[in-house]
Amino acid sequence: MSADRRLRPYVESNVIMTVVRILSPFVLTYGLFVMFHGAESAGGGFQGGAIVAAMVIMLAFAYGMEPTRQWLSNRLIVLLMGGGVLTFAGVGLGAMVLGGDFLEYLEYGSVTASKYGIELVELSIGGIVSAALTGLFFAIVHGFEFKRGEEE
Amino acid sequence: MISITEAVLLLLIIGTAIATMLLRDVLAAIITFAAYSLSMAVLWLLLRAPDVALTEAAIGAGVTTILFLVAISKTLRPSTDRVLRRVDWKVLVVVGLFATVMLLTVPGIPAIGDPAAPAVNNEQVSQYYLDNAYKETGVENAVTAVLAAYRGFDTFGEAVVVFTAGVAVLVVLKEEAFT
Repeated sequence: MSADRRLRPYVESNVIMTVVRILSPFVLTYGLFVMFHGAESAGGGFQGGAIVAAMVIMLAFAYGMEPTRQWLSNRLIVLLMGGGVLTFAGVGLGAMVLGGDFLEYLEYGSVTASKYGIELVELSIGGIVSAALTGLFFAIVHGFEFKRGEEE
Repeated sequence: MISITEAVLLLLIIGTAIATMLLRDVLAAIITFAAYSLSMAVLWLLLRAPDVALTEAAIGAGVTTILFLVAISKTLRPSTDRVLRRVDWKVLVVVGLFATVMLLTVPGIPAIGDPAAPAVNNEQVSQYYLDNAYKETGVENAVTAVLAAYRGFDTFGEAVVVFTAGVAVLVVLKEEAFT
């Protein structure tokens, strides 16, 4: 019986599904807010990315690991992770191309450039963290299911 | 002097830490560990470190707990009536010695909010960031300014570490795609 229950790692509960359905857009918005607003208040890419990843994991708990895993495209995760690193490196190396040091935002022009550069870096960190955490979660879940399929 | 809120919080943190260590049921240990993380987040907030508090709440209490839950869903839970695990006295002596050595360094740390603390009373570092962060980077949060501008190269390294962790999991689990 317990093995049977473990095959379905989620509860088909109307309460949880409804709560997650209502809550998830707000959690996603909050995560993006923390990422964007990190320059003015507490927060930043790491925190915002973790909140976004928590939202996806929440969806997985409410609607099932397997459906969520199939809904989430691998291309998006790879794009966010690789694109984030490349954007961060691009912003840093761009300043060097213009004659400054790594991540010397002032090379791009005014102080506003520095603010938007930091904003862009925070966003790319958010992309890396959210994609890595969700990818980690689903890779582990899938790894388990694969091995379970092997045993049986 | 610490307030009553902080005292209660510190007791809760120590209590949940010991409970995490001693509870025999892995699921119960994970739940108390999440409670520990959440109390730590509130403590960071009281210590005026909201950036750390957000990270602790999102990563420590949120994502880590779920990753642990996924991990134990594949293990067997011991079915005994004992609630607490047996303490290994030899390990306890070693850990106790280590903790004592660590605690002996505590009096050397300056008090919280001490204006003479080297990290605060430092013209070249902290005061420089507080005075010039907005002027030089245009962002109001000095933590973000240090993270993304002054110490941007370190942050780039951290971001790459997260990226590498994602790739390493795929390698270890012998998967070709995340989803």
